[in-house]
Amino acid sequence: MKKMTKDTMAGAAGRRRAGSGDPLGPNSEIGRKLKQYYDELVSDHVPDRFAQLLSQLERTEPAPKKD
Amino acid sequence: MTAVSQSFKTDLLGSIPSLRAFAVSLTQNADKADDLVQETLVKAWDKHESFQPGTNLKAWLFTILRNEFYSQMRKRGREVQDSDGIMTARLAVHPAQHGQLDLKDFRGALEQLPEDQREAIILIGASGFSYEEAAEICGCAVGTIKSRVSRARTRLQEILKISGEDEYGPDAISAQVTGSNAA
Repeated sequence: MKKMTKDTMAGAAGRRRAGSGDPLGPNSEIGRKLKQYYDELVSDHVPDRFAQLLSQLERTEPAPKKD
Repeated sequence: MTAVSQSFKTDLLGSIPSLRAFAVSLTQNADKADDLVQETLVKAWDKHESFQPGTNLKAWLFTILRNEFYSQMRKRGREVQDSDGIMTARLAVHPAQHGQLDLKDFRGALEQLPEDQREAIILIGASGFSYEEAAEICGCAVGTIKSRVSRARTRLQEILKISGEDEYGPDAISAQVTGSNAA
């Protein structure tokens, strides 16, 4: 296994700080996982109950409120 | 009182997937999340007049959902979902290999974040909101969001044992994996 010198490590840390334009961008493992996690949730099948709820709300529009 | 417009209803329907994703991120529980989304839709419907057409509906809805979430938590005296102990024990994450971080591990790590940090990193890193929008949704300063995101990111890196985020050189990674806490 290749050894890393202190200098290389310091340089790496420096670059990291410098490249902080978008810390959650595509170059970030955390950023990519975050999107993967979320996209999976977003693409989850939406249960019918929500469409039904909206139709129900539509049918029972409340009586006019005054304020 | 104006009737709810068809386009409002359509937009509402269209935002359900995002609302559910955000709700799951907050509650970490699919059933609670769907109840939360339902509450949000009812609230949004009732106060549709306070939405200004042309502004960001998604942000408006996320604000409602988030307020609902926190008010429910307060009501329930915050039944602690303290995942900490359990998750930490269960996690035993092996060092992340280049790009090989498991989504399950990631989910577990996300669960360990405090709510405020989790929501901030989700809004910014996943839902696609700007710092300004996220600050508005959370009712706090932009700087607060920034620091929460940054703390969340650091914490996730710690939990998942990822370091040197921006470099994918196998050398940098293996050095950090094998080199223990040199610094």
